[in-house]
Amino acid sequence: MLATRPPAVRSKHPSYKALEPSRGGKIARIVLLAIATPVTLFPFYAMVVLSLKPGAAVTFPQSMLPWPVDFSAYGEVLGGRDLLKWTFNTLVYSVVSVVAVLLLASLAGYAFAKKRFPGREPMFWSFLAMVMVPYHVTLIPTFVLIAQLGGVDTYWGLILPTLANAQAVFLMRQFIMGLPDELFEAARLDGASEWRIFTRIVLPLCKPILATLGVFVFLWHWNDLLWPLIVGGSADMRTLTVGIASLHQENVPLSVVLAGATVAFVPIFAAYLVGQRYFTEGVTMSGIKG
Amino acid sequence: MRFTLRWEARTGLLFVLPCLLLFLAFRFGPSIAGVLLGFFEFGIGDSPAFTGLDNFRRMAGDPVFWDSLQVTLIYTVLYVPVSMAASVGMALLVRRSFRGARFFRSVFFLPVVTSLVLAGTVFTWLFSSEGPITKLTGLSWLASPTLVLPALVIVSVWSRFGYGMLIVLARLQDLPRELEEAALSDGASTWQRFRHIVLPQLRPALFFVAVIETTTSFQVFDLVYVMTGGGPAHGSFTLVMALYEQGFKNFEFGYASAIGVALFVMTLVVALIQRLIIGRSK
Repeated sequence: MLATRPPAVRSKHPSYKALEPSRGGKIARIVLLAIATPVTLFPFYAMVVLSLKPGAAVTFPQSMLPWPVDFSAYGEVLGGRDLLKWTFNTLVYSVVSVVAVLLLASLAGYAFAKKRFPGREPMFWSFLAMVMVPYHVTLIPTFVLIAQLGGVDTYWGLILPTLANAQAVFLMRQFIMGLPDELFEAARLDGASEWRIFTRIVLPLCKPILATLGVFVFLWHWNDLLWPLIVGGSADMRTLTVGIASLHQENVPLSVVLAGATVAFVPIFAAYLVGQRYFTEGVTMSGIKG
Repeated sequence: MRFTLRWEARTGLLFVLPCLLLFLAFRFGPSIAGVLLGFFEFGIGDSPAFTGLDNFRRMAGDPVFWDSLQVTLIYTVLYVPVSMAASVGMALLVRRSFRGARFFRSVFFLPVVTSLVLAGTVFTWLFSSEGPITKLTGLSWLASPTLVLPALVIVSVWSRFGYGMLIVLARLQDLPRELEEAALSDGASTWQRFRHIVLPQLRPALFFVAVIETTTSFQVFDLVYVMTGGGPAHGSFTLVMALYEQGFKNFEFGYASAIGVALFVMTLVVALIQRLIIGRSK
């Protein structure tokens, strides 16, 4: 059977059409995509449409029409509820953490990659080993520590424990290890200080990885529920996730909950439209361990 | 030379120092303390009292703990294969470059960047008596102790299949075309090419996704907290829900830590199995 095939088919210049699906395969693909796409997008559609239907009981399928449109749930969630406060808290939690994680991880990553100092390897590997310990194992001691330091219901109590990010240090080290030493040597011979080398040479060269890592850290914080729920218990310290979960549990009308959910989703969606590449790279990279 | 090395070591240590302090305070310290606290009785306001294995004995006799372990394991057993099949299927669907392939990849990845709290609020309605899933299936999923886990699995798969899809897709795009082309010219069908050529080469990527998804399933919390609160009748009361309730509702820090130790052991077992399998395949 194998021998009877003419060798010409396996030429050195493979036809790139050869593996394209057949006509039937293409039709199957269109059909499957025509099912999977609406199924994937329907929850988003329902979120937005139902946020525009205050009052009346929302029943499928009658309530799925986009009209009539009534924005009063947005008025209630933005005015009567603390949505703006939650958005602000979420922004503080996410933005401060991203900036701090990027700075700390690139400092440590640079040192682990390019500086010789005693204990470097064991220190690095024990950082990395922390990826193995489930976050929930450390939850209670971390909470007790933060509580004793008076950090419950404060921004610093919320942010500080999340800055010890092993994956970020690992990724920065891997990236900086790939940068040529000559760059730093030349600057050192020119008399540049270590801090100057770091800010003027290392950080600019790390822009691509910083962008990807930054998006990943931002997303993680923006969507985090458990830690803000535990440490930011008071109404004033709620983040969007904690706030919307609390609305959901408080018998608030569905339209108001979903109006809040839509407001929380819009910034992430906008960022996703603009910088999709960074989202996909960040999320897939985050899973890649050593 | 000696001077430069010392200087280098000093700057190196200085640059690592902030991270090191944070790791000591919030990763190393709490990791050890989290395990040790399992051997103490410790509530809010008291100082920890050593009680040996009491917490673990209590755990062994606590039906709620065993239920939560069972719920977590059933959830994992349902979730991991379904989500992996969805990831691989979708990756194969958008694998080739065709008009709109990028658009579809972005659509399928969108749920991954969406928070589980948002997913939970919408899906609670989708599964409610007014929502389409109940209307179409005639079953009230979230009110049934047996259907509540499948419902949560459906939501999790929706929210995470895009992640596995991207990992599988990245691997698929690295595969050399020659093997598949040779098989095609030998007359292999689409299924045969997938089964005997593509799938074996995907094995490391699939294994990686399986390990990640298993450990993620052990820790499922957000969706349960939002959609069911662990109910009905503890039907979706997972291990992390148990840990959360014991730790932050009852303030039994010692007992909650013992539950955390159980979770840790489960994660370690998965890591050990991973090592063994990787070791054997090498």
